[in-house]
Amino acid sequence: MVAVAVALAMCVACSPLVENAPFSVRPDSLAPGDLLGPFDGMVVDGETERPIASAVVVGSWAFERGIGLRGPASVREASVETDADGRYRLPQPDDLPTGSSMRLRRFTLIVYHRGYVAYRSDFKFRSDGKGEVRHDFSQRANKVRLEKWQAGMEHRRHLAFLGSAEAVVKAAGWEAQPASLEYDGGATAPRAPAPQAAKVQTASPELLDASPLLSVEEVRGVTGFAGDFEIGRLADRVRSEEYDSLHFKAKGKSEGFDVGVRVWAGSPALAEAQFGKLIAELPAAMPTEEIGDRSVRARGGEVVGLAFLLQERGLVVQISCGTSQCTEAGMVLRLAKLVESHLGELRVGGDRNGSPAEGGPGEKGGEP
Amino acid sequence: MGRCRQRRESRLTRVVFWGLVLLTASFVGGRARAWDAATTHAGMTGRALEASRFHAALAHRMGRALGSFEPLRLDVAALDANRARDLVGRLRALDSAGGYRPSAEGVATASAWVRAGSVLAKTPPERGRNHFLEPSTKSGLDDDSGLSGAFHAARLTLDDGATVRAAATGQAFALDGMSALAWLRSPHNDFGLAAFFDNWERALSAETSSRRETALVRALLAMGGLLAVLEDAGQPAFVRNDFRGEFLARESGSAFERWVADRYGAVALPPAGPAVVRPDVESYFLAGDLLGLAQKTQRKFFSPGTLPADFSCDPCDASAARLVHRSLAFPEPEVGGLDLRQSPQTRYVVQDGLRILAYRRLGDRVHFFLDSSVYADVAQAWLPEVEGYAAGLVNHLLRAKVGFAVAGREAALTLEGVDEPLQVASGFRVFVEDAQGERKPIATAAFKPGTPILVKIPANARKIAAFVRGKDKAGEFVATGEIAGP
Repeated sequence: MVAVAVALAMCVACSPLVENAPFSVRPDSLAPGDLLGPFDGMVVDGETERPIASAVVVGSWAFERGIGLRGPASVREASVETDADGRYRLPQPDDLPTGSSMRLRRFTLIVYHRGYVAYRSDFKFRSDGKGEVRHDFSQRANKVRLEKWQAGMEHRRHLAFLGSAEAVVKAAGWEAQPASLEYDGGATAPRAPAPQAAKVQTASPELLDASPLLSVEEVRGVTGFAGDFEIGRLADRVRSEEYDSLHFKAKGKSEGFDVGVRVWAGSPALAEAQFGKLIAELPAAMPTEEIGDRSVRARGGEVVGLAFLLQERGLVVQISCGTSQCTEAGMVLRLAKLVESHLGELRVGGDRNGSPAEGGPGEKGGEP
Repeated sequence: MGRCRQRRESRLTRVVFWGLVLLTASFVGGRARAWDAATTHAGMTGRALEASRFHAALAHRMGRALGSFEPLRLDVAALDANRARDLVGRLRALDSAGGYRPSAEGVATASAWVRAGSVLAKTPPERGRNHFLEPSTKSGLDDDSGLSGAFHAARLTLDDGATVRAAATGQAFALDGMSALAWLRSPHNDFGLAAFFDNWERALSAETSSRRETALVRALLAMGGLLAVLEDAGQPAFVRNDFRGEFLARESGSAFERWVADRYGAVALPPAGPAVVRPDVESYFLAGDLLGLAQKTQRKFFSPGTLPADFSCDPCDASAARLVHRSLAFPEPEVGGLDLRQSPQTRYVVQDGLRILAYRRLGDRVHFFLDSSVYADVAQAWLPEVEGYAAGLVNHLLRAKVGFAVAGREAALTLEGVDEPLQVASGFRVFVEDAQGERKPIATAAFKPGTPILVKIPANARKIAAFVRGKDKAGEFVATGEIAGP
């Protein structure tokens, strides 16, 4: 009995076995590292080699238990931000789980900084979704070279790659909306058919109302901007039954943070003419085939623009976005896709003098 | 009190008995896993969701605009205390690096909840005992031989403090278990089919938004659990009744599954093949056309405990082939075209372009084994297929929907995505949601095939939602749909 009790007590109180680390202790060493840590290193820009401060660094220790069949038993997690020199340090976890079959199976380091592709110690991110095992991670003096986020990369794959540590999820929360848009060819959930939509194409004495086309939350969801906006209309052109605009003016910020939306609604011929006019007027206009029947990108000073034509519906839309707000080339396209998804709610009528109301997107309707 | 004390004493007696067995037999032990839950199951499930209509179904039928990426909160206060304690304890064991661990507030994306479900389906890992399915007998795990089952149960009993309790509940199992098909429908499976359909219905019909959200989380966890069971039908050991060979024979455990976990992790699995369409849930596992995943896996691949037996051949002629075939536990895969010339090199049995079996002749001895080349071929070819089956099961579970056509203040509701013959017990259950997000039933209408149900939309309606629960040719369904009020 005593022997059994001692054996039981011993195995219940066992420290976990620590499996062999798949990484070296240092970049210049072949000696295996220690899954328990400690871990330290430096985060730099992959192109310039400059240190990146305030990058989120999360370490996760995964423990498993079981005999024959094994499964998750416990986890320890630590998160820090890099200092001004881009350095991080994660100490060994204390208070380890116990049990005779308990073992430390994995350690994973994840680094996130907005505008860059996230870093994992086990795999490299590939935009085609095929994983590539990472071989250059080391326990000590590890160098994390973050690659800049590129147009064409998919947020939905990136989010799956990031893990779900709270610090990372908080920093990368803005990616959820563009990730959602990347499904179904970029179409967001459609809304209920707006009964007024048909009026857009008819001659109407009432004014066009662009306010349903884009909301503050949607702009924030795409760009990650945390500040406030004043909502109004762009002042350079008078609202009419065929034209309206939205101006998201960033409070206390330069124009580089502003977002503008213009929409023209008329006959297909008028829309074609208006689109041609935009191509001629917009600075550095470059035709693209990103959205609608035709589209064009433009850039002037601190503003990037994207206009597109929906000829049969007689609609032309132009999005302009400051480069401090739209920090990636893909953001203005995502804004355009959001606007496109709301065009069914474009309406005529409303207060001739009032400002567009701030509001979120409407409710969803049936599956197409 | 007396009964409690008796149970404690009985448990203590069992612990002492198993302890003595264990001390006698020592702690020599295996270290293995089924598809590694934390990495491979989670990754395969993620790939399956990407290849399925999951995102669209959430966005368009359940009012979750961000679809797969919709943050959803599990309100544990809405669960009964025991269930909440159990679920929270299991969730806390999950690794955030896998991308499916919820926050401290119980929030994760819809996709993460499904992936979490596929991991929790085998947390604690002994739940995996019920994921076995031998297609020809439709039976579950039954790999006890002599004292090995008792010995395994003894080791589990003494594994740690938690499993001392498990000894009394059967978690310390003796190399046996329920078949995967029975487990899907078992009332003891909190991630089974019933849990999925019940919670999918409540995710639409519950009165408050918080309860609807919690029900949706539970439905998604159950969906993940169902996918994990199916994914294991793509693991040869699970369909060849091979627990001891795969999981207990080697100190290093299942080399194949470890290889897959290390090569692909949770984030780098190959993308899914096309979503597989099957007539009903069971036929994703096995069916008369022999295209169930368990059947295909059993026919195509070996597991470590069901390899051809090593043999001595002198002379190495046609009789050798007979010896090999006589030793096979299952008729397929066949082992043909062996090159039995003396060579130190490893040779392979290749089928459909895949190396499925390694062998080597040393002297007169021919030795069969599985190596990393076999693992690489099998994983690369088979993981996308398994994920395609899982994607198909997602589509199957979500195949039915309620369609809306709104004209003025009237909505016409139709049942879509189902096949005759239909049994609709619930009828159309229609709900209206007010500005505070509270839902109340406004109509229950009998279902008539081909005839839309007309519903007057109340003036204060922020949303109209409806579900239909029933059975069609393909089995049970819960059709859902919702739309904004005019």
